Amino acid sequence: MKNTFPVRFRLPQALCTLALSSLLLGAAQAQGTVKIGAITSLTGRFAEFGKQQMAGFKVAVDEINRKGGINGQKVELQVEDNASDVNKGLAAAEKLVNAGVGLVICEYSSSLVKAQAQYLARQKVPALVTTSSGDDITNPGSDYIFRLNQPATEYARVLFNIFRDNKFKTVAMFTGTGAFEKSVADAARGFAKQYGITIVEDQSYDKGLTDFRPVLNRIKAKNPDALFMVSYAEDSVALMRQAREVGVKPKLFAGGAAGFALPDFIKDGGSASENVLVATAWIKELRYPGTQKLNVDLIKALGGSDPSYHAAQAYAGVLVAADAIRRAGSSDREKVKAALNTTNLQTAFGPIVFKDFEGFKNQNPIAMVAEQVQSGKFVPVYPKTASPLKIKFER
Amino acid sequence: MDPNTLALFQTLAQGLLTGGIYALIGTGLSLIFGVMRVINFAHGDFLAVGMFIALFLFQRFHLDPYLSLLIAAPLGFGLGYLVQRFLLARLGDRLESSSLLATLGLGLILSNGLLLGFGAQPQSINVAYATQTFKLGGVQISLPLLVAGLGTLLAIGLLNLFLYRTELGRAVRATAQNPLGAELQGVNTTWVQAVVFGLGVAFAVVAGVLLLPLLYAFPTVGENYTLKAFVVTVLGGLGNLPGAIVGGLILGIIESLGAYYLSNNYRDAYGLVVFLAVLLLRPEGLFGRTVKRV
Repeated sequence: MKNTFPVRFRLPQALCTLALSSLLLGAAQAQGTVKIGAITSLTGRFAEFGKQQMAGFKVAVDEINRKGGINGQKVELQVEDNASDVNKGLAAAEKLVNAGVGLVICEYSSSLVKAQAQYLARQKVPALVTTSSGDDITNPGSDYIFRLNQPATEYARVLFNIFRDNKFKTVAMFTGTGAFEKSVADAARGFAKQYGITIVEDQSYDKGLTDFRPVLNRIKAKNPDALFMVSYAEDSVALMRQAREVGVKPKLFAGGAAGFALPDFIKDGGSASENVLVATAWIKELRYPGTQKLNVDLIKALGGSDPSYHAAQAYAGVLVAADAIRRAGSSDREKVKAALNTTNLQTAFGPIVFKDFEGFKNQNPIAMVAEQVQSGKFVPVYPKTASPLKIKFER
Repeated sequence: MDPNTLALFQTLAQGLLTGGIYALIGTGLSLIFGVMRVINFAHGDFLAVGMFIALFLFQRFHLDPYLSLLIAAPLGFGLGYLVQRFLLARLGDRLESSSLLATLGLGLILSNGLLLGFGAQPQSINVAYATQTFKLGGVQISLPLLVAGLGTLLAIGLLNLFLYRTELGRAVRATAQNPLGAELQGVNTTWVQAVVFGLGVAFAVVAGVLLLPLLYAFPTVGENYTLKAFVVTVLGGLGNLPGAIVGGLILGIIESLGAYYLSNNYRDAYGLVVFLAVLLLRPEGLFGRTVKRV
């Protein structure tokens, strides 16, 4: 019962509050709010993603409350800042656990989320991951960790599906050495084997390297059907510039998300970014119910700028959380966990169910989208649900 | 030509041009050491400052990075001059021992100042010639990379003219050989040292500007280049200018060939292995002379 009580309290005050709460409970439930915990990066180097998430949160909370909230009670998000730091993120999680929320929506960076989700699982508080994609968050995962966005594996899958569909025989890989890049590269090697595509070159680079030319020369000599890259923002532009400069000409350049999917990739890369194929989690062209409206709402919440998929995922996260609490009948953590297990929602981000498969636990099996830079703009090219345009090949 | 020979030549050409940029960075560091016996640990951070000056001028005034050299180089010179006059000169007799911490601290202030002003996210500029190339007997060469290489040649040529054809250059050489003797002959060594530090910093800033169309700028980009500059100058012999040039070219070529023939994953290791070998076999550097200090 204390979980539904809408006041945050600390341990010393807990007993006192508990006694009071039994007196006030009836009144509190009738007029009070349902609190949902959320952690995001309001400050620090991930603040840009935090801004996107906050917009998604706002649109979702407004939408739910306009439709009458949860069983007549208004939804309220208690958002804590992780300051883009692992330890501050853990402190934020602890604060939310003590505040008695029924579940916690987690944020962007895999390294932060992994630590938080494990902490929350130990406290037996459901963690709902909306944006971070490191495979190891839900693989092997825990009973208390749920993820609605695509894991790193999917970034490789969608691009290799396109390679397979176009009968590519050879691919060269050039990837960074960060946790996310490695995760995607490992998955890519698996798909290559599965689809019978030969990896003619498999090279990686350390952060801080700025001269990719020697490797690109090698790749040029092998003349592969596709060049598969996974890099963060800064490297993606430098990599494509140098690839054009060296004269590498595969049928397709493919970027496994991260840096390639950002608007800055086109802005800074200019003509070098043309025809590059990118895996991404969500775009406004998808044909899910409400996708267009969500895009309009998010633009409004962002003060006119375009939303990224992080915003759409945060939006879906609040919807899933509210749905689970509604079906659980309260913010009791065990009941919320059980309700999350039977989630079956159609959202503007995509369909959401939590399943166990291929070593993943409580993972939403949703596919990625592929987009391509055509005439200086991202356009969807895969799958069918994204109203795809034709893929343009380099040769 | 068959593709493999072609790729070898292409790798060599790119390594040579990349090495040219290393040489430019190393020359500035070596010049400062040669005259003042100070290793400038903020050298890479001055390079970052150069990148951000060009970035700022491009974003705010759409000034072409190569034109912004006309503003950035004097700015860099002024900055270095002031640093020597108001920071390093005050260390007095303890210059050689304390300058390490002073320049290291200066580097931290510079990179964090950039962080404050421009944010941590990497930024690049999009100029029309960023990916332009031309062919030379089948070898594709990047235009901005070639400009950087030619810029290095020009800068080093001018530096030589200055050192060997001007009165002030002679004073610089005299100060490098024997500060006390130069002082006794009427050379204002404090002023000469400030000019030299200004020149060294200007070289780093110019290198930064030349790199911007090729790369991207972020506040801590300098760390990597401080290390490279150090390797380059030690390879050639600290304080030896032709040595720094050859050292830069060698490093560029070794890194490129290593990454091409062996594996890219150990790229930095190739240069450092050669660096270690030189330290073991010729501790004074490839072209250095053992100097007896009085």
